[in-house]
Amino acid sequence: MAFKQLWDLLLAFTRASNLGFGGGPAVVPLIKIEVVERYHWLTNAQFTDALAVGNALPGPIATKLAGYVGFQVASWLGVFSAIIGTVVPTVLAVILLTGFLMKYSNSPILKGMLKGVRPVVVVLIAQTAFDMGIGSFPNLTTWGIALAAVVAFYWLKLHPALMIVLAMAFGLLVFR
Amino acid sequence: MFKNLWDLFIAFTRASNLGFGGGPAVVPLIKAEAVDRYQWMNNEEFTDALAISNALPGPIATKMAAYIGYKVAGWLGVLVTLVGTVAPTVIIVVLLGSLIMKYSNSPELKAMLKAVRPVVVVLVADTAYDMGKKSFPTISTWGIAIVTVALLYLTNIHPAIIIVAAMLFGWVVYGRVKKEKDQN
Repeated sequence: MAFKQLWDLLLAFTRASNLGFGGGPAVVPLIKIEVVERYHWLTNAQFTDALAVGNALPGPIATKLAGYVGFQVASWLGVFSAIIGTVVPTVLAVILLTGFLMKYSNSPILKGMLKGVRPVVVVLIAQTAFDMGIGSFPNLTTWGIALAAVVAFYWLKLHPALMIVLAMAFGLLVFR
Repeated sequence: MFKNLWDLFIAFTRASNLGFGGGPAVVPLIKAEAVDRYQWMNNEEFTDALAISNALPGPIATKMAAYIGYKVAGWLGVLVTLVGTVAPTVIIVVLLGSLIMKYSNSPELKAMLKAVRPVVVVLVADTAYDMGKKSFPTISTWGIAIVTVALLYLTNIHPAIIIVAAMLFGWVVYGRVKKEKDQN
């Protein structure tokens, strides 16, 4: 049982990480597909919470999500398993294929492939926002929070981590 | 040797733990450490490393960490840079996550999470918007997006298949157009 879960974690995060072109943020929708839709380790709302915690902290987002989900599924061994899946394949590729990639990273074929995949990545991320949005606006106040977040982010240039902490404090005062 | 490993560890712990906004936000901080501070590589080598990393899938910060770690101190260097990049924030995120699980029935926590979810939606939407700005240079890229939306919502096709198909499409359509231009 435990072994099966570790294996599933390894597979899920290897698959998500190795199909996401555009760094960690491009991997997030694929992690959501594995974690929420395929294996049902977390609900949509729980995944949104995981992203809130992840966004409140510095560092790469993909490994933070891997750690968060891995721990919930199978404790510290799960963390290990999910992070190995996220990090190891691409890390080996970057080291072992350096010569090859150096030669082709500017080739029109590779650039064409990345140009073709980018719109897909954008759609997947937009879909993630949309899916999360479905359960996240139960009343008018939550719409107010989103509006305030847009203003704070684009006009006041407030730091995302600070926005998350402020929203939590607001919730504690208003929603309890 | 030990000095090198220690420097690598410190450099990547610092870069990763000061960069908010995921891996892409960490890249400039890695550059400050690897190029400006420790001079493990020059500007041009760093640009090459970034190009190589961008050609591959997965998180960008760990690929850069491994590339630079390997260059400076071999496989031990890779291990040290990866631990520096990943471990500190992962440990914190796991501890916070276990608190959320433990107190998932507390009204205080529920209230806080209810208020934070709309903010996360805005942040993820912004990521899509931000990437979108650079991802639609031509009409045909809009076509790819529309086809993707249709496939996602009207069929049960796995996104992996869409991703691979889009890359093949890009290879055939955009890869060739460039080549012909080069020949002219």
